[in-house]
Amino acid sequence: MKFDRFAKLIAGISLAFALPWIFLVIVPFIQGSNLEPVPYPEGQEVDGGIAAYPDPTLYRNGSSDYGRQIYAAEGCAYCHTQVIRPTYAGADMWRPGWGGREEDGLARETQARDYLQEEIAPLGYQRIGPDLSNVGHRITERELMHRHLSDPRSLDPDSGMPAFLHLYEESPDGEDLKPTKKAEALVDYLLSLKKDQPLPGKG
Amino acid sequence: MTVPQPTPEEIEERATIDRSTRYPVMFFFTSAAAWLLAATVLGFLSSLKMRVPGLRDDCQFMGYGRLFPAHMNALVYGWAMQAGIGVALWLMARLTRTPLRHSVAILVTGHLWNAAVTLSVITVWFGFGKSIPLLDFPTWVWPVVAIAYALTVMWVVPMFRTRREGVPYISEMFIVGAVLWFPWIFITANVLINKGTAPVMGAGLGAWFISNLSYFWMAPVSLAVAYYIIPKISGRPIFSYPLAHASFWLLAFLAGWTGFSRYMGGPFPAWMSAVSGAAAIFILLAILATVVNLMISLRGCSKLWKYSPSLRFTVFGMLMLAIYAILSAASSTYSFGKDLQFTHFVAGLDILAFYGFFSMTIFGAIYFIVPRITGSEWPSGSRIRIHFWFSTYGIVTVIVATLVGGVAQGGDLAIWDRAFSVSFVNSTASIVGRIVAWALIGYSNLLFLIQLYQMFIGKGRKSEGPTLLHSEPGKAGSAKAAAGLS
Repeated sequence: MKFDRFAKLIAGISLAFALPWIFLVIVPFIQGSNLEPVPYPEGQEVDGGIAAYPDPTLYRNGSSDYGRQIYAAEGCAYCHTQVIRPTYAGADMWRPGWGGREEDGLARETQARDYLQEEIAPLGYQRIGPDLSNVGHRITERELMHRHLSDPRSLDPDSGMPAFLHLYEESPDGEDLKPTKKAEALVDYLLSLKKDQPLPGKG
Repeated sequence: MTVPQPTPEEIEERATIDRSTRYPVMFFFTSAAAWLLAATVLGFLSSLKMRVPGLRDDCQFMGYGRLFPAHMNALVYGWAMQAGIGVALWLMARLTRTPLRHSVAILVTGHLWNAAVTLSVITVWFGFGKSIPLLDFPTWVWPVVAIAYALTVMWVVPMFRTRREGVPYISEMFIVGAVLWFPWIFITANVLINKGTAPVMGAGLGAWFISNLSYFWMAPVSLAVAYYIIPKISGRPIFSYPLAHASFWLLAFLAGWTGFSRYMGGPFPAWMSAVSGAAAIFILLAILATVVNLMISLRGCSKLWKYSPSLRFTVFGMLMLAIYAILSAASSTYSFGKDLQFTHFVAGLDILAFYGFFSMTIFGAIYFIVPRITGSEWPSGSRIRIHFWFSTYGIVTVIVATLVGGVAQGGDLAIWDRAFSVSFVNSTASIVGRIVAWALIGYSNLLFLIQLYQMFIGKGRKSEGPTLLHSEPGKAGSAKAAAGLS
């Protein structure tokens, strides 16, 4: 009798939780794991002769992959998102440069395949700072990106971003900041953030 | 309607059970309180850093992106999980009427747990994190946390089987549920995230884990406490037992579906955030039914709330739980959620879960349990009062600041041609509110830790009557006597 009640409670709890566990977590995870690059159909011309979305040749490697780890370790995703929502869920697409290259008609919301080169998609927690999905299009110069990291308030006095001085070291003459390997990697990563590749069969 | 009074044998039996839990439970409570203070300091620093971004820029340990996750880990794994385990051990021993065995083993695993928490805080703080809230420690840390947890609570579940009578108490069900749900969600989230094959689901699982942690650990443990303490102190039975059971099963069936609404419009199939939103709304019904059930049980005992610290903290915690459920449901709908997404509101909701309703209820439990297991009374009623009011003001400040700040920030972000930095500048007041709130909470927790430590080393008050919030000269005795109810 005692065992029956105990067993019933455990069975009930397990059954109740098994449903969302399977259908909301396990199945979508398997589906997400099976995402593959999609080749462009015949007749769809894409700049640079890219064959598939997302372009496997652009996968992050070496330095920018190390930069991805720095991005995570410094907790960048606590203040910066990397998700562009469709217009029914927010004004992200309207903000200049957020959705990608508007002038080429390429701005769009982010899709699951845009993150295939990450291990964990850094979708973000809050938006204390702007979205970085397409920051690689907005800031194209290395120097400027370094300045954003080492002295953000010289570019925008209202910025709430801390300077990541520990990623830089003083040059021997004591005048400039010299980026460390970590800072270079982080900049490589940030410059590679472009999530507006045309989707196969569209545009 | 009153519950029958215990016989002398029963009182003796309870004392034996209480004594058996003394060392493990006190160990968990004091180390949890120490972690809580650490978490408060880190929370204060991270909010300060947000207001003054240039503060000690040269020091890598002062980055917001490192302080904030360290704060969250200390708050949840150091304080919330640990205090919850302490409460679960004592409640299960009391409810099943079996003395706690293996207390030495539990003490050893308790140290292991603290070592795991230290790892999870330090690794993130020192720059080995993954930027996923509460799951961001390096891959090798999570098995340590999971094993320490399993070794500590594996004594709790079998106790449920050895209990003497037939019908399980509702508090027991919530404890057994919480103890089983936590490892399930923790292991699932960590295994899948670290597998790293479905990047987008990694982020989604982070949101799913936070929401499930609130509904599958914070809520059940606080409800177990409330369902125990409120009848104990008021001397009245729960208004409706069937309603209590119904809300338990509603929670069990629904909470697993929540979480994905945090990324509504994100790169997920749209049904996922829609289902999560619907689940959050149905859970609201369960939580409101529970809280109303508890409040009706307290009818006519309003004076008790004035005197009994346990009751006051617990009732306040339950009101916070209702507010959490309402805000969580509201922000899961498109109409509110799309503007509140990614704003201070999200952070405020998490603080409300981990600090607001959970901690206040657990304080109530600790004020109830510790005198019983140490055999002495709290040193000072006025300090408990300060603890209550500073915590209350702190929490209310955080909630109002993040709620209003989040709405304002969401409004600024929704205007596409308004410069982004405007949204940050306009949330200054909200951030200052957070700084003030953590300072208030920090002071109250310092007093709490000091009192708890005094009890731990046996410096409590030796007295016939319990410590009340307001002492009445010349009238010792229970809260009920002081309130004129016995």
